[in-house]
Amino acid sequence: MSTITAHELRGTARRVGFGDVLRAEWSKLWSVRSTWWTLAALVVLGAGLTTALCWGNADWLASGDADESPGSFITVGMTISQVCALVLGVLVVTSEYGSGMIRTTLAATPGRGRVIFAKSVVVAAVLMIAGTLTALLGYVGGNWFLDREGIGLSLEGDVLRAMYGSGLFLAGLGVLGVAVGFLVRHTAAAISVLLAQLFVVETLVMLIPGSFGDWVAKVMPGNAGLQVASPVSFIPDMFDPWVAFAVFLAEVAALWTTAWWLLEKRDA
Amino acid sequence: MIRAQGLTKSYGDRVAVNGIDFTVEPGRVTGFLGPNGAGKSTTMRMILGLDAPSSGSVTVNGHRHVTSPAPLREIGALLEAHAIHPGRSARDHLRWMAASNGIPTTRVGEVLEQVGLDTVAGQRAGRFSLGMGQRLGIASALIGDPPVVILDEPVNGLDPEGIRWVRELARGLADEGRTVFVSSHLMSEMALMADHLIVIGRGTILADCSMHQFMADHAAAHVRVRAPQSTDVEALLVNHGLEVNRTGDELRVQGLDAPAIGELVGTHGLLLHELTLVQSSLEDAFMALTADSVEYHAKASDEMKAKR
Repeated sequence: MSTITAHELRGTARRVGFGDVLRAEWSKLWSVRSTWWTLAALVVLGAGLTTALCWGNADWLASGDADESPGSFITVGMTISQVCALVLGVLVVTSEYGSGMIRTTLAATPGRGRVIFAKSVVVAAVLMIAGTLTALLGYVGGNWFLDREGIGLSLEGDVLRAMYGSGLFLAGLGVLGVAVGFLVRHTAAAISVLLAQLFVVETLVMLIPGSFGDWVAKVMPGNAGLQVASPVSFIPDMFDPWVAFAVFLAEVAALWTTAWWLLEKRDA
Repeated sequence: MIRAQGLTKSYGDRVAVNGIDFTVEPGRVTGFLGPNGAGKSTTMRMILGLDAPSSGSVTVNGHRHVTSPAPLREIGALLEAHAIHPGRSARDHLRWMAASNGIPTTRVGEVLEQVGLDTVAGQRAGRFSLGMGQRLGIASALIGDPPVVILDEPVNGLDPEGIRWVRELARGLADEGRTVFVSSHLMSEMALMADHLIVIGRGTILADCSMHQFMADHAAAHVRVRAPQSTDVEALLVNHGLEVNRTGDELRVQGLDAPAIGELVGTHGLLLHELTLVQSSLEDAFMALTADSVEYHAKASDEMKAKR
């Protein structure tokens, strides 16, 4: 009986394509709870923080002595969403190393470039949508308080760009998480490295004196990536948003290519 | 069919697999036997393209696994236990595997039923016992209905009923004409499951023969004879060119099987009180064969301790 099915299956077997690998990664992503938790935290904390900070600062921003722009506050919650995006990107990879499942994955798809590419596409697509949605929710919540003080922002120009810019920024961070996940192959280590970079290194480099210090701060991936997600930057003298995003993408691409190369080279 | 040629894997100075050649033929269960650390898992990982050989090659159905157009339809593998995300259900685990190789989703239900996990398919794999995890691993191996199946230590952690189930499954797969390659460090298990045996120790092949041949070669046997006139019997057997060792009133005879010895003694009008075939166990044979490699490991770890 089984002999017949074996031949039938082999008879109809077709070459596995990238679409199959993509479907497998999509299925993996949604069949673990950590994805749902991480995304829920991303949306709720991100939109919530924007709303809360706009509420708390609206009257100060409307007063004459404010030295910040309402535009800096309208997507401020992305600073917490970015952590969730990194975690999601990392987990998609390191949960497989932690359980040993990566061997099942790589035996099923020996073309390893396809595996890292499919994971990156799935993570980027989901975070693009989740990031844009979070920014929009934060805008709706935060702008309600800004409007009450007469300093509301309309959803156009740089504000609109910051909405899908937030999606793009989180998508890029997710891919960064995937890359570091494949480089480090350990959940805690990968997340620690990324958080240290984002919250320690990028703050410390601001202490480097002179124009060199300014330049280093500008090209740091977190700083550079964040520009596109914000209508008005908190940090002065940054690159223009799209230039900064190009710098960020180039850095992600460099790390991603290294991760791919090592994935092909190392034993699983 | 799996074919290894000059397959070598070294990690730094340590050679885990040392230029081995072997062929695993379809239609029979081939046991891959060796002490822990002999190179079994490394070899299996190289078959699946997970580890790259330092030199030499290994092919599945005539080509390297990496170049397979539909890998899971070509070779299915049970790797070390629980190579499964603990938070994902058995069904979801098999679903992504099916999706990755364009296998119809209906196969998921089929293999779940085949391994007896259909009633717990929705439960998270992290809650599974070791035995259920092994069954899910075997379901993963069978998802693509592959002509080649490799099982790394499939009976580890299984209860006697589970062990019997794996044995029958392996036999069934071989009877369907598939290539079945099963690793174990337990000779007793192999003796019941395998038709053919590849014994590995210290990264080299120590034996590659049929189970029957292995038993004949390595499991030394003698016939225990007790007789009232044991000196006469001894003289008779020695005269017929047999090797006889005396221990007290017991004779250990080699060179002829028990019925033939009985007939020989009987036709000469002598009486027998006992005539028993005594075969040393395969476990003993395996131990004797791999003693060197095991000793090597013990010595190596002593040396390492001394260095510290």
